Amino acid sequence: MITLKTEFQKIKRRKIGLTMSVLISVQFAWFLWATKNPDEKELAQGWMNLLYTLPLLNVIMMPTFMSVLASRLSDLEHKGNTYKQLKTLRRPGILFDAKAICGLLFVAAISIGQMLFLLILGYCHHYTGNPDMHYYALSLILNFACCLALYLLQLDLSLLFFNQMIPLVIGLCGSLLGLILMYIKMYSFLPWGGFLSCTLVGMDWNIETRVVTLFYREHSIIEYCAMGMVFIWIIVFYTTGRIAFTRKEV
Amino acid sequence: MNTSYQKAVKAERLKLRRSPVWLAFFALPIISAFFGTVNYKINISILKSEWYSLWSQHTLFLCYFFMPALIGTYCSYLWRLEHTHHNWNSFLTAPVPIVSLYLGKLTQAIFMAVLGNAWIFLLFYVCGKFAGIKSSFPPEALEWFLCGLLGTVVICCVQLLLSLIIRSFAIPIGIALLGGVLGLMMTNRDHGLDYPYSIYCMGMRANNPSMEVNIPTLVINSLGYIIIFATLAVLYLRKREIAAN
Repeated sequence: MITLKTEFQKIKRRKIGLTMSVLISVQFAWFLWATKNPDEKELAQGWMNLLYTLPLLNVIMMPTFMSVLASRLSDLEHKGNTYKQLKTLRRPGILFDAKAICGLLFVAAISIGQMLFLLILGYCHHYTGNPDMHYYALSLILNFACCLALYLLQLDLSLLFFNQMIPLVIGLCGSLLGLILMYIKMYSFLPWGGFLSCTLVGMDWNIETRVVTLFYREHSIIEYCAMGMVFIWIIVFYTTGRIAFTRKEV
Repeated sequence: MNTSYQKAVKAERLKLRRSPVWLAFFALPIISAFFGTVNYKINISILKSEWYSLWSQHTLFLCYFFMPALIGTYCSYLWRLEHTHHNWNSFLTAPVPIVSLYLGKLTQAIFMAVLGNAWIFLLFYVCGKFAGIKSSFPPEALEWFLCGLLGTVVICCVQLLLSLIIRSFAIPIGIALLGGVLGLMMTNRDHGLDYPYSIYCMGMRANNPSMEVNIPTLVINSLGYIIIFATLAVLYLRKREIAAN
């Protein structure tokens, strides 16, 4: 608890919360722009459309945002060359836990903020009916899990490499990979493809009529496995990161 | 001036020696080219414009979202060398005019971005042949390359300024990604040439290879942005007490 409190003291005035808010607000701006002046069909499918668009935007932006967050939390140790001192004061595993929990709280705030924004947006547009709260709650949990997996991956990389370019570039490559995979198949076992596997809404585009129909996805067994893989990644990245950080030579 | 500029470029090259930063410019286009070609082959019944269809598959996401962020990463790395330890003192007291110091960094950023763009085109050609496209290579590709190059220089100037002002390594990269996302919105509103991050995609015709782009506007806007952002960066270096911050 003391280490976690110290972690928050270290990031005081580093404006990490503000940075993440600004980054996420562009996502909100996109939603406002993409959903303006809805017609009858868009109003009818509005609630589903929000759940369809969110993972699409997340797959583009979240790997980079998570790498920014992880890099901000780790870079102060690299720049200040504080590892040697910190490791003599606290057990390195606890230090890693503190950084992981600190980031987890940011990730939770981002995920809740996104979902609240979608609900407010939907009500403001007067979408037909009410949102399926079951799907929205599930989407919140899955979105949080995907972001957390990516955050832990980026935290591991940011703590291990002094050169912050490496984690950032891996984040960018993963983001591109996740986005491209989205156009090939609807699930992926890669950490960046988690958003894709956890998408609850599918889209059917009729080539001849050019009509888009959204529907709640019926996941196959392999798709459920891909979804479960997100949680496995969380465990893998947390465990390996903790071990690697503990053993890291400073 | 010429000699001091050459010295600055040489110094920047020395700083980046043995640094694997070029790998990023190598890896990202490969991912895009590989999966773009796979997607092209899968959807060949819909994508009938051969080279042009393949081009949009290769460049759509890369140019809109990831090249700006990649250039941002490189620019952040260039300034990070100065932001760490007490390197600002030695940087600013070097017996070279500040303009030359800045141009040294800009040259390095542009050099890497040019190599990255050339790599994208090479992959496009190789993948096209590999995908079995029979028609001849589009002659407009040279124009795309040159226009894209101007857009690249604009992004380099913007990102160098951001990374100079913001000491964090990661934040300018996040801004670059957002710049790319906003660029897509601006392009859809027909303001693509007015916005620094979307000039690159417009020049590369990433969205639509057969799109007509107003070349004089593209050139004038690009040069305008280059002059504005480069001047701001030099002024910032001259006026602000960066080393003391």
